[in-house]
Amino acid sequence: MSATTVTTPSAGAPAAPRGRTTKAPSRLTPSRAALYCLLVVLLAIFVLPMLFAVSGSFKPRADIFGEPLRLIPSTATLENYRSLLSSQPFWSWFGMSVGVATVATVVSVFVCALAGFAFAKYRFRGKQLLFTIMFSSLSVPFAVILVPLFVLLVKTGLGSPYFALIIPWVAPAFGIFMMQQYIVQSIPDEILEAARIDGCTEFGIFLRVVLPLLRPSLGALGVWSFLQSYNSFLWPLVIVSDVTNYTLPLGLNILYASENRAFDLVLPGAVLASVPMLIVFLVLRKQLLEGLSAGAVKG
Amino acid sequence: MTTTTTSGAVAAPPQAARARTGGVSAATQRAPYLFIAPFYVLYVLFMIVPVGAAIYLSLTSWVGLGTPTFVGLDNYSGLLTDSSFWTAAGNSGIYVAFSLLVIVPCSLLIAQALNTKGLRARDLFRVTFFVPMVVSPIVVALIFSMMLDREYGLVNSMLYSLFGVPGIDWLSDPEWAKVSVSFVLLWRWVGYLTIFFLAGLQAVPRELYEAAELDGAGAVRKFTTVTLPSIKPVTAFVVVTSFISAAQLFDEPYLLTKGGPGEATLSVAMFIYRAAFERQQFGYAAAAGVFLFVIVFAVSQLLNRALQIGRAS
Repeated sequence: MSATTVTTPSAGAPAAPRGRTTKAPSRLTPSRAALYCLLVVLLAIFVLPMLFAVSGSFKPRADIFGEPLRLIPSTATLENYRSLLSSQPFWSWFGMSVGVATVATVVSVFVCALAGFAFAKYRFRGKQLLFTIMFSSLSVPFAVILVPLFVLLVKTGLGSPYFALIIPWVAPAFGIFMMQQYIVQSIPDEILEAARIDGCTEFGIFLRVVLPLLRPSLGALGVWSFLQSYNSFLWPLVIVSDVTNYTLPLGLNILYASENRAFDLVLPGAVLASVPMLIVFLVLRKQLLEGLSAGAVKG
Repeated sequence: MTTTTTSGAVAAPPQAARARTGGVSAATQRAPYLFIAPFYVLYVLFMIVPVGAAIYLSLTSWVGLGTPTFVGLDNYSGLLTDSSFWTAAGNSGIYVAFSLLVIVPCSLLIAQALNTKGLRARDLFRVTFFVPMVVSPIVVALIFSMMLDREYGLVNSMLYSLFGVPGIDWLSDPEWAKVSVSFVLLWRWVGYLTIFFLAGLQAVPRELYEAAELDGAGAVRKFTTVTLPSIKPVTAFVVVTSFISAAQLFDEPYLLTKGGPGEATLSVAMFIYRAAFERQQFGYAAAAGVFLFVIVFAVSQLLNRALQIGRAS
């Protein structure tokens, strides 16, 4: 309606629509257009490499390097997937990665939430010191404990991959910090006090009152811990010696390193390894992105 | 359920509650220690003990079998004259400098762009820029080794067909290899760091900008006098995190270039890995680890103190 009035400008009428357009928040000024262009170029830089990998996974071996500029394969085939899954123990790698990451995530979320709760809601002697010690563990690079941790676990007979792969990811200080920030911001003292008067034990309060209220940030921390474990490379590379216990990154690495540029096998593996994580991320993206940054804003 | 029955008690005067916390039961006093105990048990077993073991190992010569022989500071003096180690330290320094001087400012700029009033599809951009962090480093390395292939890669094909530029040795020329590893780092990290800056920018009160506008401040002035001081906690967090991650970088150079060509992209973490697990020099590797630990720990504590983060309350 307003569009038709604009095309026939009379003396007094166009004042109303013009007023409306200047108020609209997304009016396309040149600077705003430039901003959108920039963001779209960035979007392409982030998305295109992944799309080309997906597209490559459907190309016949010769075409992967034969037609690198073609996003839509001229001949698409599932042959790469078929030969990967029939020639490599892909599902065993996948199972190992998912299993280890699941256990590490559950333990880690529990340990972090519990400690975060203590730091957020209790006053106790030595709290500041203990918090500083906990926080300072963030600045111990993993490469430093790589060698001694390997030696200790192997020497004490705890080098079993199931145990050893889980251990480095169960007590991240970052998770405690995140939980502490979230609990301070979102759980009022009155609820805890009420539960206490009801005769709840302190641990009962944590289980029945705090954990249910923490659900959104537990999701964030859970996804984050899972990704950390699922994507880890250096530690599995060091601690897993038996091929039958390989995780996905190790499997893909050996596949890439041993067969000369076997992109027809590696690309479908990369796609299959990434898709489940991407789906989980997209489903929980709001919680994860907000949960991650919530702690850092207040510092 | 439980809360409704006691809502009367909650309404009791706050002084009463405060008086009660003064005389809390022994169980309540013990609770926080029990709650943080699992973390500290794991922390001692898998962080403190290994760091101690690293210091001990660094004073020995050990090939992984038999008993380590005490050699005093020999490993450290060996490191000081080891040209590979200095190459690795220099490269890690480059990765750190690149993270702090390029990746962090880039993510702040992207966050600033995404924070524009009334921007459409902000969430689409924010989420997409984050995706590289979700993907495994091995997958990222595979994608880029395919794209950066000298003869058949997408990047060189594109450069050739658009500008007629002859192929660049992205991964096997010493200088370009550093550029490629750095670019992959940028690609993987920038969207992750943007999330933090964006959250920080969104928390800056609008009134501060309006006040600055009344004082006649332009865009640049508003950025330096309002934005930067307001997002200091986030900046501190991002700077420290990036520093620590870049200083111990392993995956990207290992997977993309194997540290090469030669030692052109070798990082300190890769040096440690090679010494221990390719040459069985566990004591020597541990010494390099202790060196890395001292540098990273000292610098990040200084940064923490300077930028005031890591307080309990």
